[in-house]
Amino acid sequence: MSKPLMREFVVIAAIMAVVAVSIIPATLSAQTPERAPVVGTQGMAATAHPLASEAAIAMLKKGGNAIDAAVAAAFAIGVVEPDGSGLGGGGGLIIYLNNTQKSYYINYYHQAPMQIDRISYDSEEDRHTAKAVLVPGTVAGLTTALEKFGTLPLAMVMEPAIRYAEEGFAIDATLAQLLLDNTELLMKHPATSEIFLDEGFPKMEGDILRQPELAATLKRIADHGRNGFYTGPVAETLVRENQELGGVLSLDDLHSYKANVTEPLTGTYRGYDIIGANAPQSGSSIIQALNMLENENLAALGHYSESAATLHLMAETFRRVYTDRWSYLGDPNFNYIPLMGLTSKAYARERFSDINRFKADPHDYRDTQPGNPGRYDTRRHQPETIPDARSEDDEEWDDDSDDDGKSSYEEWGEDLFDSWGGKKTKKKQENTVKTKTRKSAKDSLEFFPETEEEFDGHTTHLSVIDKDGNSVALTQTLGTFFGCGITSAGVLLNCGMSNYSKTSNANLVEPGKQPRSSISPTIVLKDGKPFIVVGSPGASRIICAVTELLVNVIDFGMNAEDANWAPRFYCQKYEDYLYIEGGISEDIQEKLKRMGHTIRAYSGRDLFFGGAQLIYVDPETGWYIGSADRRRGGVAIGY
Amino acid sequence: MHVCTKIAGVLFVFGLLFVSTQAGDEEAARKFEQPILISSAGQSADMKLIGMLAKKQKLDAKAVNMAQVSDLDGIKTLIIVPGFSSKGLGAAGVSQKEEMERVEKLVAAAQEKKIPIVMIHIGGNARRKGQSDAFNKLTAEVAERMIVVQQGDEDGFFSEIAREKKIPITLVEKIAEVATPLGELF
Repeated sequence: MSKPLMREFVVIAAIMAVVAVSIIPATLSAQTPERAPVVGTQGMAATAHPLASEAAIAMLKKGGNAIDAAVAAAFAIGVVEPDGSGLGGGGGLIIYLNNTQKSYYINYYHQAPMQIDRISYDSEEDRHTAKAVLVPGTVAGLTTALEKFGTLPLAMVMEPAIRYAEEGFAIDATLAQLLLDNTELLMKHPATSEIFLDEGFPKMEGDILRQPELAATLKRIADHGRNGFYTGPVAETLVRENQELGGVLSLDDLHSYKANVTEPLTGTYRGYDIIGANAPQSGSSIIQALNMLENENLAALGHYSESAATLHLMAETFRRVYTDRWSYLGDPNFNYIPLMGLTSKAYARERFSDINRFKADPHDYRDTQPGNPGRYDTRRHQPETIPDARSEDDEEWDDDSDDDGKSSYEEWGEDLFDSWGGKKTKKKQENTVKTKTRKSAKDSLEFFPETEEEFDGHTTHLSVIDKDGNSVALTQTLGTFFGCGITSAGVLLNCGMSNYSKTSNANLVEPGKQPRSSISPTIVLKDGKPFIVVGSPGASRIICAVTELLVNVIDFGMNAEDANWAPRFYCQKYEDYLYIEGGISEDIQEKLKRMGHTIRAYSGRDLFFGGAQLIYVDPETGWYIGSADRRRGGVAIGY
Repeated sequence: MHVCTKIAGVLFVFGLLFVSTQAGDEEAARKFEQPILISSAGQSADMKLIGMLAKKQKLDAKAVNMAQVSDLDGIKTLIIVPGFSSKGLGAAGVSQKEEMERVEKLVAAAQEKKIPIVMIHIGGNARRKGQSDAFNKLTAEVAERMIVVQQGDEDGFFSEIAREKKIPITLVEKIAEVATPLGELF
């Protein structure tokens, strides 16, 4: 080979290597085993799509802060990953301002229209109808974040999203698969078909997806701020079309929607500060799980992929955390939520001491009983309603089929009532909310869940940090993939109605109320400095995914990529199985079976277990190390 | 070197097409009979799309995602649409292993009853590699005819099986374009 040719070869090879490291891994399937770390010193963005990460980095390079970057990425991800989130949904974000060492939570989850009582809702039949649509919060949340904490003008941070919607982008592997999987839903509504289907069939990987109507709506927001969405022609279109299809969304609902800026929940874990999402999102569950696990030296026991003892303890912890969550968590504007108790160390010790180290106890996960966090809640609030211990959530589905007909409230509710000193006011469900009956599944080493919605690893998460250490963890959703499937004014709308419960008092549907959500954006501090910025999609698996990631880093010293790619598992009260991802050996599985667990194992890594976006800050160098989950198309970009 | 590589690549692709076309020449004119049973292998929703296309072509076909051996009664052609979907398996309430066993039984029964099998792969990259290829390979190798949306064959996976097994294969660019070769089979 001649020297010039060799030089050319080397240059091409180098370019290919760079491209491979920075771009290709993002679009490879979840089976890809290796990915080089992404390192930055001036900023980092990890999102579920390279274009959204680029949007964030573009803002940082323009001099914006982490909030500018996160808002740009959040608007952009709704365009380039339209299945997971968008203007028609809602979410929540944690902001940590490094210079003041203050943190904030902006809750912009969707909430029930005021006329919600007028409709009869069947969680199976109506999930993909206008009845499922709650008042979207994304625009309010992102514009609020920018107004209060950003530095760049709205039009500038929205420019990438508008460009992607207008000019289009190449459909990636993840979106292509989701279009195929959800074709039936996308076919239902002409405006949605027009966008995502080609001659009635799903567009494929590499096809260009343009969303001109969405671009027009985004432009209105860029020009008029939140009023561009919640008032005027966009709002009128949303309301008119929703009502024509049987929904109860009103202009008043849209006008009056406000994102709430609150304090986040905080806790500690082995000397690290944990900042989590406030109710009705699930930061309390992450903190509770970590508080419980703190009672054991996990590092000494060994990593859960190699130690049945560790996995057992964590699984038993999750069962209890999810049970408490389902019994107590809801919209705090409507219910007394014993958050102080749920996140207290003493309560966690009590719950952890309830775990049998040698066997799954009680044997059936569904027999797991809630604890009594109210006893550890020192606030003197009178509970407006007593959470129903018998409650079950329909975030994915509700299931009364396994109930023996006896209310466990009768068995222990009196004690709970007494401990709070409140008035027993078990609230009746006024709305008609039917739920599907869950089938029982056979035991098998390979398992896939039984309802389409439960498989969905829907929702999206993005993590951003800027040169000053300001950090944002943001999770947003449409409910399930593609929401209710209805597009109005170019906006895919949520199916948030399915996130309410039929029987859980804390999560009954009421006008103006937000449903409970699994979303758990989380920021971890070490000595007051950002250490981990993380979150995940994945429906009810989010809580397990985020907790396992934190344990992987804090207890087992894994780097960002290894922590993210480590096999995951999922276990909770309203499941019959301990779900295990490929990578946990059959030997460990056998040991767990002997302890009484019923295993459902996946053969590989799977989107079912979430798609975390993680930024790790090296405490020694201060470098930012990003990891976008290979279970889902995405990329971390640093500079 | 660059030009040589390109030429070699082009020749390889043409070679594959030539071989498969030759194989197809002997069988291409073959007409399959109705009624048709359409089933999935891997529980992706792709099967439903083929059902729609069959309806559009006014074919006497029924689509049964979890078709069992008994569904073959009276059937003259079995169309299998391979593609793994966790979501589909979840909805069907079966594991990957159970699905594979079902497909194997269905294929064996069809072969025993001398019911010809047509494999149609429409999912492109989304239904390749990973857990899909076990279903793709199983059904492609027993097919008497293949229709494949080109993106799923960019690495020659199906063309190679077609060449080895001398199975006529039709490659189309888009899912909607499957309708014509599908209709022409009957």
